[in-house]
Amino acid sequence: MTKTITIDPVTRLEGHGKITIELDARGEVKTAHFHVTQVRGFEKFSEGRPFYEMPALMARICGICPVSHLLASAKACEAIMAVEIPETAAQLRRMLNLAQMVQSHALSFFYLSSPDLLLGMDSDPAARHIFTVAASYPELGRAGVGLRRFGQHIIELLGDKRIHPGWVVPGGVTEPLTVAKRDEILGMLLDARVAVQLALRSYKEITYRFEDEIAHFANFPSMFLGLVNGDESAEFTDGALRLIDANGKIIEDGIRAKRFTEVMGEAVEPYSYTKFVYYKPFGYPEGCFRVGPLARLNIVKTMGTHLADAELRQFKQLENGPVRSSFHYHYARLIEMLHGIEKIEEILNDPLILDKHVRATAGVNRLEGAGQAEAPRGTLMHHYKVDEDGKMTWANLMVATGLNNNAMNQGVLQAARFFVKEGRLSEGILNRMEAVVRTFDPCLSCSTHAWGKMPLLIELKDAEGKQIGEARR
Amino acid sequence: MKVLVLACGNPLRGDDGVGLVLARHAEEWAAERGRAVKVQTQMQWTPELAEEIAAAHAVVFLDCAVDLAPGEICAREVGAAGDLPPASHHLDAAELLALARGLYGREPRRAVALTIGAAHLGMGEGLSVEVEAALPEARALLEQTLKDCLKD
Repeated sequence: MTKTITIDPVTRLEGHGKITIELDARGEVKTAHFHVTQVRGFEKFSEGRPFYEMPALMARICGICPVSHLLASAKACEAIMAVEIPETAAQLRRMLNLAQMVQSHALSFFYLSSPDLLLGMDSDPAARHIFTVAASYPELGRAGVGLRRFGQHIIELLGDKRIHPGWVVPGGVTEPLTVAKRDEILGMLLDARVAVQLALRSYKEITYRFEDEIAHFANFPSMFLGLVNGDESAEFTDGALRLIDANGKIIEDGIRAKRFTEVMGEAVEPYSYTKFVYYKPFGYPEGCFRVGPLARLNIVKTMGTHLADAELRQFKQLENGPVRSSFHYHYARLIEMLHGIEKIEEILNDPLILDKHVRATAGVNRLEGAGQAEAPRGTLMHHYKVDEDGKMTWANLMVATGLNNNAMNQGVLQAARFFVKEGRLSEGILNRMEAVVRTFDPCLSCSTHAWGKMPLLIELKDAEGKQIGEARR
Repeated sequence: MKVLVLACGNPLRGDDGVGLVLARHAEEWAAERGRAVKVQTQMQWTPELAEEIAAAHAVVFLDCAVDLAPGEICAREVGAAGDLPPASHHLDAAELLALARGLYGREPRRAVALTIGAAHLGMGEGLSVEVEAALPEARALLEQTLKDCLKD
């Protein structure tokens, strides 16, 4: 008899999702799906709004990475305005994006995933949360809380608010940086760097415990996509996209936002509200790829900063060619945090950062525009159409979680096939199913969050959908 | 930092914003007198506040309350929660104190929660008549609390 196992909700993710695992008559895994069960509708209800309102509206999609939506949206608006923003504004935005990346990665690594990594996948679910980590490993707990505070405080200093800052606008930013704010940020950098280096050391000390997870957590050949600079270094805000294959060969380079809308398609599956983004020339699902920290480190030759480059060299030795195990998203995330802190220092030490020219102005000069940026969890694209008065007539967003959607589903199936044997389940196995998804740090609706012990419901259903069993934790 | 004032609330949800109104008063009161009071306002209290709480001599938490009658004022001493909680994004005063102690090995010598019973928490700016009427007494109580904390 066929059985279906449902994990609902999946915990310690940004937003709500569920996992179903279908077993065959022998109790072996037949299929597995990761479902996103919420619909938002931002693309639809933005229609009719003035285009210059879009960054502030779109930032409300997410409380964790509003800066990414602000940036991609502002860039789409600037394509409509046909303006190039001042260099200082571009650097200030770059710093804002890096600060957001640090705080978001800190949330993902320390708050959401470190309980699995430090306490163990099979540890007591009631105590598997950040506060037990803080009690057992106070130094790491302080590092995590401190790094999140570091990123949030920079965002607050630049944009006046930690969440949903209104500082980024079409054309640049509203206010230049002051000397006092620059110096305050410079004064925070050393502690932040020490905290990330502590996390890197700790992570390397424990990875030997996760051989099975490394081998079976979405570990398969795939293409990888991310922003890169012309000098082959890592980029999060500007630059252009590069798509590589599973062996590291470049498939397409220099993809700007306008081109992105031409070469990327979106497929829909009946089990999820999140779309599946794919590279059109290869079709669906063959054209699916991975984005985010793992992909970004796979596509670059250098991080562009000294300490992060030393870590990147070690990262690239994990495998011969692009790193395929999604477990290593965690490692990549830490390296990106280190890079972010170094890069912020580099930006602040350039006197240009205090320049007062930070905003270009223009009206509607094109009726269509697209903008792209790297969100903490991967590439993000906003695509808008407006009428002659600048009112929105159409919007489409391709977000990182949609770009990773196929890989997450493949990953859940791969892990289920390894860990679920003859229909036998344990809480630790269920946690591993969730942990596969956590490696990607998906943002499902970007508005609701949960961690720790949540009600987990497992339903066993026969081939006709009749419930034949149930388990809760 | 001598005294840290932490206010929590959303000014777009009626009486939920009363903590922010009181925080503004604390800021003005301290500025006029040159007192070592730092005021922070947030929509919800998060773990990142633990470090500043640990460094403060005293903390005053300002919030609305749903377990008090509309306009009723309550000032009470708060201690750290017994265990660190499996919390979500929002922490209460006792949990924040516990986190400060757990992470930094310190907690303020004194922690006071000043709350006012809410009448209206729906969409919309502005306070209800009941909470508005309670503000003069709440401001006076806040000033006295700050003076006491600064003396300690």
